[in-house]
This record gives sequence, structure tokens and C-alpha cells, in this order.
Amino acid sequence: MILRALVRAVLLLVGVSVMVFAATEALPGDAAEARTAGRATAAQLAEMRAATGLDAAVWRRYLEWAAGLLRGDAGVSLISGRPVADVIGQRLPATAALAGAALLVTVPLMLAWAWPAGAGSPAGRLVAAVVTATAAVPQVVVAAALTAVFAGMLAWFPPISLLPADGRPPGLSVLALPTLSLALPAAAYGAMLLRGLVADIVARPYVRDARRRGLPGWRIAAVYVGPFLVAPALRVLAVVAGGLIAATAVVEVMFGYAGLGELLVGAVANRDVPVVQAGAMLAAVAVVLGMLAADLVTVRTDPRRAMT
Amino acid sequence: MSIVTGGRLGFVTFAGTVLGLALFGSLLAPHDPTAPLGAPWSPSGGGNLLGTDALGRDVLSRVLAGGRHLTLTAGAAALVAAAIGIAGGLLAGWHDGPLSRLLHTAADLLLAAPLLLIALVFAVTLPGAVAVIAATVCGGAPLTLRIVGDAVRQVRHAGFVDAALGRGESGPRILGREILPAVAALAGSEIGARFVVALQLAAALSLFGLGPAPPAPDWSAMIRENVSGAALSPAALIAPAIALAVLSLTVAVVGNAAARHARRPL
Repeated sequence: MILRALVRAVLLLVGVSVMVFAATEALPGDAAEARTAGRATAAQLAEMRAATGLDAAVWRRYLEWAAGLLRGDAGVSLISGRPVADVIGQRLPATAALAGAALLVTVPLMLAWAWPAGAGSPAGRLVAAVVTATAAVPQVVVAAALTAVFAGMLAWFPPISLLPADGRPPGLSVLALPTLSLALPAAAYGAMLLRGLVADIVARPYVRDARRRGLPGWRIAAVYVGPFLVAPALRVLAVVAGGLIAATAVVEVMFGYAGLGELLVGAVANRDVPVVQAGAMLAAVAVVLGMLAADLVTVRTDPRRAMT
Repeated sequence: MSIVTGGRLGFVTFAGTVLGLALFGSLLAPHDPTAPLGAPWSPSGGGNLLGTDALGRDVLSRVLAGGRHLTLTAGAAALVAAAIGIAGGLLAGWHDGPLSRLLHTAADLLLAAPLLLIALVFAVTLPGAVAVIAATVCGGAPLTLRIVGDAVRQVRHAGFVDAALGRGESGPRILGREILPAVAALAGSEIGARFVVALQLAAALSLFGLGPAPPAPDWSAMIRENVSGAALSPAALIAPAIALAVLSLTVAVVGNAAARHARRPL
């Protein structure tokens, strides 16, 4: 079971790497043309391709690229000429801080919303409607609403989240708006996915029976519903975390937060292929690891196993 | 009963108005949406109902004109993804076998794939709008295919299909004339669901500067342009956000209504 999850994760990453490579290498021009910006002659281009290995067959270039990634060598940025690993490493802490803070807010919020929305009381239906709407609107809408209220009307936080120039970790006021803009839609999406599961479990006979026996709500939640929710909630959390990692790009661009997502968006606009490839693979690894972790924890915490 | 029908008629009118304004609102714009008229981020008044934006342009005119690209992109993406998914679902539901099991697994995996990342990778080589369509097809078509395939499998043994088979009608004819109408509401709800997701992608790419080139107005780009003026002119920031929210929620509600209709027993 554990082995199967591992094999699946590795196969998935190989598939993603093929797709990323194919999608980014299908350029009309190639890296040699991009780097010389049309100022080189055909002979110079050919020489450059031979020197950088661009004239090799596609599958050979893919293997070399993949082998490089495994060694931690992601090539050189076409724009700045610096090693991609350095460029990404420099931006990684800021995005890790943002994504980590957002996940810390997302998890409790997701559970707090999924519970009433799944239980189906009148208040729960209102929560469900708000959750569905928050998950449906584009993320910029949530970010704009939060900015207008907290930066515009209340002036609690700055509307632009500039990182400290001396490399110190960002403070709470800088992180607040980006974190909430990431966490609210992510938690709403997760609660939407979890809502049906909660409704299913709450409707089970032993839960109704516990209700009739007059057990307090928290006890029903902790003993009769919670254990059956752990595994699906973890899978939902993995999906939500994957979306959240991708969504850091939106929030970082919106608030001018110099993280990995902003770097990736700039690299896409400049066709800096090695940076896009490495950034996309890094995000894919994070998503697949999240799914793998959810799979492994599911195996360990299966309530059916705990009962026997 | 008449109240319900009246409410439905009212909502259809509302949804049509929202779509019409998103697509053709520029015809109603009181000013040139790209011409600077006054000081940046001035409050409402003096002919500018919602004030001016970061470059002193009329916010109302830009909101009226700024939905077209997003709506067209998301609409095209939704239609293409849903068409591929529905066609595939009709086939997969009609012929049981290893193919439909494979498609189930693929749809499960794609549910976890961050579509925004796929769209970004596509945007390296493709124009922004095409990248949105490609990502919506990659991520959305398999989901539609699975949902429609399941529905087709359920109606495949219904009486009216048996009757058509008994009349000696061909498989494609039965799929088109008997089964497609039976799953039409479901197909409608799938188009709505794909539109909502495609609009999220299109809005993100416009925010990244991969949408229409400035100074063309675009709701998502307007939000970014005016975020630093949040304190001076909240309207410049909030108006395009409300427009985006109304469009996406309207389509979501229409899609949900179609889904509820689809769940009713035949």
C-alpha cells in the first residue's frame, strides 16, 4: 500500500515533467534565438545551439534536463544569466512563509465552515451559500475586497506588501492581506469539498442514535464524526494545499510581494523557459508530496484498522 | 407556482443583462475608457460617477468596457472543454470498458492538479487566452466526461432507449436524439461549472499582464492598477471586483439551477 503510493507519486512526477518540458519547449523559436533576440546570424545561432546542446534530439534534451533537476542543477536563467537554483532559492523563503501562514489559517477555517455547512441547519445553509460564493469568484475579487476594507477603509495594513530590503522575515502587517487573500478562497473550496462528507457522516444511524441519547455536540463531533473525517479531510487538504501553492502567484502579483509566484509569472512573460520549468516542477513536487503524505497518513489512521 | 415561474423569468432576465453588459457594456460607456480625464484617484463627481483610476480615467467607463475579453475567453474555454467532455462522456458511457475506468482515474488526478499552474506553463508558448482554453480543456474536460459518462450509463437501460434500439435505430442516432436530450440539463450545468473555473484562470492571467495589452480596460487588470489607491479611491478598486463577482456568481447560480434540474428523476 505504502509502496504503491510511492510508485504512483514517482510516476506522476515523471508524467508532469514530460508535460512541462513538452509545453515549454514547443516554442516557435528556441533558447538560442531568445537569448540573442534576433541579432545573431544563422551561422552564429547554429554554433550557439551546438555549444549549448540545443541541436540534440528532443528526448535527449529532456533526459539531460531531468537528470540535471535530480542533481539540483536546473540550468541558467535566459534573462539574468544566473543559475536557476540560486534565483529560485532566493525567492523560496518569502513564498514558504506566505504559504505556511495561509495554510495555518486555512485548516481551522475549512473545518469550522464545513461543519455547519454539512450539518444543514438554517445558519448552516447561510454558511454554505457564503462558502460556495467565496470559492466561485476569482481570487482577485477576494483580494480586492479585503484590500478595500482593511487597507482602504480601516487602514490597518498597507495595500502593497513590500518585503524588508535587508532580508529580514516579513512582519505581520505585510503578511496579513496576502495570507487572508490566499486562505479565504482555499478554506472555502476545501469546505465545499468536505461539506458532502460531513452531511453523509452526520446522517449515519449511530450519529443519530448518539444525538437521541442527548450526548453533547462536541462529544459527537470528536468521537462519532471526527475519526471518519480524518482521511477524507487530509485528501481534501492536499488538494487545497496544491491550489494554494499555485494561487500564491495571484496574491504575490496583486500585492507586489517578491516571492516565487511573482518570479514565475515574470519568467512566463519573458519566456525564461528554464526558470518556468524549474518553478513549475518545484510546485508539482510540493503538490505530489502533499498528496503522498495524505495517502500515507490515511493508511495509518484508518478507523477500521484502529477498531480491530 | 406562478411565483416560482415569475422568479425564474426575473432571474433569466437578470442573467441575460449581466452577460450583455459584460460583453457589450462599452456601448454604454459615458467616456472613452482609455482617455485620462482628471487627477488620479479622484472621488466620484464632476461627470465621473465612480471617480477616476490610477491614470485619471473614468472608472465607470472602464468597468463597462472591461469585461469583454474575460467573458469571451472564459466562454470559449467553457464551451470547448464541455463539448469535448460531453462528446467523450457520451461515448465512454455507451461503451463500458477499460477506457472509462482509465478516464475515472485521470479525472481523479486532475482534480488535484492546480489548473493555474497548467495555464502558466501553457502561457510560455501560447497567448494568454489560448492558454486559458488549453488549461480548462486539460483540467475540465475529463471531469465533464466522467460526470456525463456516469449519467449516460444510468439512462442507457431506460425504456426509451430500449424502445429506440427495438426500432432498429443506430447507436449514434440514439446517442444524439434520445440520450443527449436526457442529459441536456447536466451538460448545461457542466458548461456553467467550466465557465466559473475558466473565468478564475482568465482573471489570474489578466492580473499577470497576459491579458489585453494596456491601456485596454480589463476588470482583473484594473484591480491590480488601483490596489495602491485603495485609501484614496476605494471605488476604483471595488467596482471591477464587484463586476467580476457578479458575472461569476450569476453563471454559477445558473449552473447550479441546471444541476438541480438534472438531478430530478426522469
